[in-house]
Amino acid sequence: MSRAAGLVGPGADVAPEDVLRARCYRLLARFLSSPPTADELAAAARLTGDDSDLGRAVAAFARVCSRASAASVAEEYHELFIGLTRGELVPYGSYYLTGFLHEKPLAKLRQDMARLGIERAENVSEPEDHIASLLEAMAGLVDGTLGRVLPLEEQKAFYAAHIGSWAPVFFRDLEAAKASVLYAALAGVGRAFLAIEEGAFAMV
Amino acid sequence: MKEERKVAVADRRSFLKLAGAGAAAGGAALMPGEEAQAAEAKAKPSLYRETEHIRRYYELAR
Repeated sequence: MSRAAGLVGPGADVAPEDVLRARCYRLLARFLSSPPTADELAAAARLTGDDSDLGRAVAAFARVCSRASAASVAEEYHELFIGLTRGELVPYGSYYLTGFLHEKPLAKLRQDMARLGIERAENVSEPEDHIASLLEAMAGLVDGTLGRVLPLEEQKAFYAAHIGSWAPVFFRDLEAAKASVLYAALAGVGRAFLAIEEGAFAMV
Repeated sequence: MKEERKVAVADRRSFLKLAGAGAAAGGAALMPGEEAQAAEAKAKPSLYRETEHIRRYYELAR
């Protein structure tokens, strides 16, 4: 998916809380799509949070980032998601929902993405229901960087079908995974954030 | 109907504001161009434990 983000950015008609939502989605997507660079780790180490659940999770994540090296995180990422034969976790919606890759949930996602006019980047061969692609898509739908800001009702439907249906379980698994250190802290951020999203979507 | 919808959106907003305040910096530092802003918010790592204790104290004192 396009990383030309930031062009529409916090301007125009996007409410400040939606800018923050998109950032949160993007932060999670960034760390889950591939291991962070040293610069990204350093940037994440500077994040701060207040006394809310999400704030505490962000602060804890920043703390872990400040102690981690890019090399050790790359190793952790490999163990979690890639592995020698298979990583500890399989971060695809279809797998979580059906036990198999490339199943119906992926077909449904492709339909929805086609309807919304978003498609995976040409050089990507991975299925679209990877957790990072879904979170990145959501970010773009929230702040309009994928073309237009999606109305809340439709955001809610996309979230419920493709993220809410399995990502909270995935984050719980990630938090508990054996190889998980920095990613356990990231999972804490993910869980706290998705809980807020769910609470907010319930009001739509 | 329309009025009702407006109220719902406003509620959702205040909910998000309350719940999401802690993540005001969440993700910001990873976005290009926002680095500098985040750098200002840098805290000394050695103080982390202490602030947490103090936070906990405030929480209990509420």
